[in-house]
Amino acid sequence: MKNLIKLILILIITLQFVGCENKEDITVFDQNATERLNTRTKELSDILLSSEYGWKAVYFTDSTQLGGFTHLFKFKDLKNVDMASDFDEDTSISSSEYKLELGSTVSLLFTTRNRIHLLSDSDNYPTAELRGQGYKGDFQFLYYGQENGEIIFRTNRSFEELRFVKATAQDWGDLAKNTTIRANLTGTIDSSLFKFLETNDGNTIEKFDFNYDVPSRFADATPIDVSSDETKSFAIAYTPTGIIVKPALTVNGQKLSVFTYDSETKNFVATGTGGVSAIIGSTNIPPLLTDDYKDLLSGNPETGFGYIAEYLEGASSNSPLFESIINEINAGLPPGVAIDRVQFIFNDGPFNYVAYTFTGGKKAILHLFTTTEDEINKAIIFTPGAWQENGKTIAAPAFLKNLDDQIMNSSGLYVKKENFNIAFSNDIYTFTSTTTPFRITTYSFQ
Amino acid sequence: MKTKNNLFKIVTILLISVMISCSSDDKLTSSQLPDSNPENSALDNWIDTNYVNPYNIAVYYSWNQNKVDNNRFLFPPFQNKVQPVLEIVKTIWLDSYTELGGPDFVKKIAPREIVLVGGINLNTTGTVTLGLAEAGQRITLFETDNVNKKDRENVQRFIATIQHEYIHILNQTKPFNEQAFEKITPAGYTTNWYATPIEQAREEGFITDYARASVIEDFAEMASIMLTYSKDEYQNILDSIVSDKAYFDIKAKEALVVSYFKQAFNIDFYALRDAAERNTDKVVND
Repeated sequence: MKNLIKLILILIITLQFVGCENKEDITVFDQNATERLNTRTKELSDILLSSEYGWKAVYFTDSTQLGGFTHLFKFKDLKNVDMASDFDEDTSISSSEYKLELGSTVSLLFTTRNRIHLLSDSDNYPTAELRGQGYKGDFQFLYYGQENGEIIFRTNRSFEELRFVKATAQDWGDLAKNTTIRANLTGTIDSSLFKFLETNDGNTIEKFDFNYDVPSRFADATPIDVSSDETKSFAIAYTPTGIIVKPALTVNGQKLSVFTYDSETKNFVATGTGGVSAIIGSTNIPPLLTDDYKDLLSGNPETGFGYIAEYLEGASSNSPLFESIINEINAGLPPGVAIDRVQFIFNDGPFNYVAYTFTGGKKAILHLFTTTEDEINKAIIFTPGAWQENGKTIAAPAFLKNLDDQIMNSSGLYVKKENFNIAFSNDIYTFTSTTTPFRITTYSFQ
Repeated sequence: MKTKNNLFKIVTILLISVMISCSSDDKLTSSQLPDSNPENSALDNWIDTNYVNPYNIAVYYSWNQNKVDNNRFLFPPFQNKVQPVLEIVKTIWLDSYTELGGPDFVKKIAPREIVLVGGINLNTTGTVTLGLAEAGQRITLFETDNVNKKDRENVQRFIATIQHEYIHILNQTKPFNEQAFEKITPAGYTTNWYATPIEQAREEGFITDYARASVIEDFAEMASIMLTYSKDEYQNILDSIVSDKAYFDIKAKEALVVSYFKQAFNIDFYALRDAAERNTDKVVND
């Protein structure tokens, strides 16, 4: 026991001597943690307020599946901010509040609702996979410092880098032009429905089938030469003069990311040096023709494909012409009655038919047809037969003429199994006119 | 024992000397944390007057990531929606309970925080979470941007949430007789409640589809539906039920809700329902 007491005494006395040793001379920082955070807050606040026309950020929330959304911010004082974005056609300025929050680091938080919050709405999602996640946007940004006059943030949830660059008066004035560019890229009711990407490395031209999903601002480019490299994917953002693609397209070692809209050719063009360039344009003929129509020809098992209005109305793969024809038909029907389905049935015994079904108790109408193929253009042609209602032959109903004529186009339809789903796991097939900008989206029932 | 005592004394004295030997003469300086709290807005003052001071309930409308599930894609409400929504909540919920339970009722048994979220809380399964009550302390109300006080159905849908969540808080304060309640429709509870429509749930003795989730939700749905809808609207719901058994099962649940309010809080539930109906009329017709 005595030894133990001695040991404890020695220990404590030793502590007396070494316990108060001063380590101040090896301090890593000049300021303590709180002072440092306060300095950072002041630094961020000062720079946010310093820019006369505020700041611009092109926010790519997840560039593996979504495009970029341009936002303009003008920090008016320590609490209020004006904001505009090109999320939709409303590019006007709205006011709300913000604050700089102290946590493990300093962050910029948009505390009351404004345009930036449109990206974080669980109920407004561009693809079925993103249900409940909206556009995966954040509105709290962690401050990581400054570089060349830009403010570097990382998003709070996913740590995506987001840079604020100084905005100009022109940025605010031109924001609405992003909407025009979007319309140029997505096309009007008369535009060709297929898009291509063409790269020129100075010697050879390579062509890609270019599929652009408007709501998600995301594109896939599939090489037409099957021996070529894999499909490329791009997140797209609009500018007043064209588009930005992310990641940049590499052609002959040169990186091309800024495409400018050429109103004459209606193409988006990126130009490098030494003859290197890339073009995104529209075409009436699909760059990539498929054999998907062959399973529908006679001699095959029964197959069915249906446009179901409840789920496929508004699908971005429908063409504006198709949507306008449907709206026109619905407008002419009595209240409560509307087109419910447009269903193609092939090889039901000897029969093929289009079934037009309606909501509101109106009886279905069938239009029989026979099929032939256009092997060269890889299209299927429906040759119209009798109309039926309730099992009896009827005269051609005038109110369906505009829709039915498109389907029975004597030059035929392109059929394509798409690589996306809508609401359900059924495959999506599109039927596109070979001569007009008409495209209908259907579920495969197989 | 003596040695131990000596040892204890020596160690204590030495420890005290260790503690004081490092004392410093540095004076306390003012806080380094920023004290520049932005001034209260008119809205903040209104909240203080109507929620914080009388009921000791804090309202969070300005975003605070610690008050919400950060894995969800949610956003704060429009600022100009906050006061109208809080007025509805006050008139229909707080005023009705205050009328029947006395001025201190909600003050004593209340969530300490109400969190307002602007948009819909959509789950990846496609269901929508209308509200949350966490540990009896916090009620989160979603979709505040969509509230339209001129639309009775819209107001009822919104107010049903807080009525429902508050029943949970009351239950957490004074439990209801779960065994007796559960015996009424024991086989009907399912985690997959959203797979069947509300009409079918009613034919099985549940006032809503969500009531099938568990006996706790069943009780909260039963009480909140009665407090949300008018006496006539509630009767119409009951009259639409075809199955006699389902009808009487729901009536049996109603009786347990009524007796719970009487025994636990000495509140006449039917009078509370009437007050809520009167106050709903007041909001919609104002």
